[in-house]
Amino acid sequence: MIRKPIPARWSLALGVLSVLVLLAVYTGLSLWQHHRNPEDTTIPTWSQLAVGVKQILEPSARDGQRWLVADGKATLIRLFLGLLCGIAGGIVLGLLMGCYPIIEALLVPPLSLLAKEPPTAMLAVFFVLVGTDTEMYVAMIAFGILPTLSQTVYLGVRDVPAELLDKASTLGASQIEIIWSIIARAIFPKIIDVVRLSIGPAMVYLIAAEMVCGDVGFGYRIRLQSRLLNMNVVYPYLAVLAAFGFTLDSALRLLQRYCCPWYVSGEK
Amino acid sequence: MPSVSSLSSDPSAAPASAPELDIVLECRDIHHGFGNKSVLYDINLRIVRGEIVGLVGPSGCGKSTLLRAIVGTHPPREGAVLVRAAGQTSPYAVEGPGPDRGIVYQRYALFPFLTALENVALGPLLHQTSIPFRLLRFPSWRRLRKRHLEEAAALLAKLKLGDAMHQYPHQMSGGMCQRVAIAQALIMKPEILLLDEPFGALDEATREELQRTLLTLYQENCAAKAAGLPPPAGTIIIVTHELSEALYVGDRVVGLSPYWDWKAEGFASCPGAAIVYDKVAPVYRPDQEKDYDSFVRQREEIRRVVFDSTYFPPRTENLTFWHDVRNGRGEGVLK
Repeated sequence: MIRKPIPARWSLALGVLSVLVLLAVYTGLSLWQHHRNPEDTTIPTWSQLAVGVKQILEPSARDGQRWLVADGKATLIRLFLGLLCGIAGGIVLGLLMGCYPIIEALLVPPLSLLAKEPPTAMLAVFFVLVGTDTEMYVAMIAFGILPTLSQTVYLGVRDVPAELLDKASTLGASQIEIIWSIIARAIFPKIIDVVRLSIGPAMVYLIAAEMVCGDVGFGYRIRLQSRLLNMNVVYPYLAVLAAFGFTLDSALRLLQRYCCPWYVSGEK
Repeated sequence: MPSVSSLSSDPSAAPASAPELDIVLECRDIHHGFGNKSVLYDINLRIVRGEIVGLVGPSGCGKSTLLRAIVGTHPPREGAVLVRAAGQTSPYAVEGPGPDRGIVYQRYALFPFLTALENVALGPLLHQTSIPFRLLRFPSWRRLRKRHLEEAAALLAKLKLGDAMHQYPHQMSGGMCQRVAIAQALIMKPEILLLDEPFGALDEATREELQRTLLTLYQENCAAKAAGLPPPAGTIIIVTHELSEALYVGDRVVGLSPYWDWKAEGFASCPGAAIVYDKVAPVYRPDQEKDYDSFVRQREEIRRVVFDSTYFPPRTENLTFWHDVRNGRGEGVLK
């Protein structure tokens, strides 16, 4: 039946089942591959994976660093600084564009152009402008997510009905209060939505850039170990990335539900 | 042209027995248009404190434009809107929106991210405090906030919304939302409250209930006037496309129409909608049986003068409100 609801217990069980099937298929594949070639590292068995995980977590023989800690630290700092700059800039620009036609006329054309430029293609530009350190990755992520984010915020501001703003003025609101207490509050859940959607692209840009010119970080490690066909290291790294993205996304969703009960329940 | 100081009394000579009426709002020589299109032509309107005025007219004739000019969000091309606060002798010209003129729209009346109670308490919050005050003087802000919320709760209870205080607008029915919107405007104690087709989207039963709410407010105004106090609910202009609603709720009906005899005034094309109808209307008590038959004649008259696109009456033929009031034909606060 189309759209016939199922019990909540069923949907939980089915979700668990599909993950279990995925794991079972993987196990089967790796066993079959090792049956054909016992030396295989492309589809590692669970015991090979355990060795890989141990290699990630224990201090390396070469410099005493734990790979996961060193890579995770570098990547997280780059990602969060980049997201922070991009999100803050995008929100401020979007609010200004939505509120003031002068700024809208000034910024909409360049931002629409910039939005179509793949930031990874502009890596050389950031390399020349801010160097190869953390700044380069931060600049790339920020510039990568800023155009889309600011445009979404801008459209959100434009969608706030004029009646609400007029109403606020008749209640004695100042210009700043209209922006801060009315517009910003009305679009806050939409901002969380667009931040959630920005995390994916931000990670894509960062990993790609680290693969090209990193000497530490998730992208660097994955590229290095893929070349050596050490998939027992690569797969745990991928799993960590997925878990990280999922956690961040869930946290933002919970934040939205907690801060904007009117919005989540309004979706029906 | 009457001077500003003459606003409180009718400029034309009034008989000695005529009541001294307190003018709260005057639209003086208002002309308005967008680009080449003329919308409003020579609007002159004086509203008595405590009145409920029904403003009617064909759709698209400029009723909302006039309302926005009064609110101040869209100032008129020419002319001025003057407001006189209760107890003051001289009026002031409005510049932009202010808490002295409240508005209730048909849609988007409430802030979706606030509960009913917070929506009503928003006005005092925005008007009496600023962002630095709320951030820097947090303890005094909390005390003030508590008082605002209590005030809002009392007003909501009075409008029979005591049970819905903590609901968000999307959880409430259309009628409840409009009730909250009225409370939201009333808490500011505006000199004049503008209702822009407030009940247009509601079903018949809810609409009648809200009309009775307005009549209850009007009775409070009458009682206050008899006691020599300012009207508690202020003055109300209600824009509506329902003639019966205007006649039932209002003590006066004003008709705005583009179908008037502009050729006689020397125009080659219509210079905009003008006020072609302004007469007193019967006053009903909220508990009184709503008797449509009693205003059938006046309704037909308005339909012909204001709405008939083939009938172009002289502009001033049906502007008898001040004459009627002077001759003691006004009811309620117009007595």
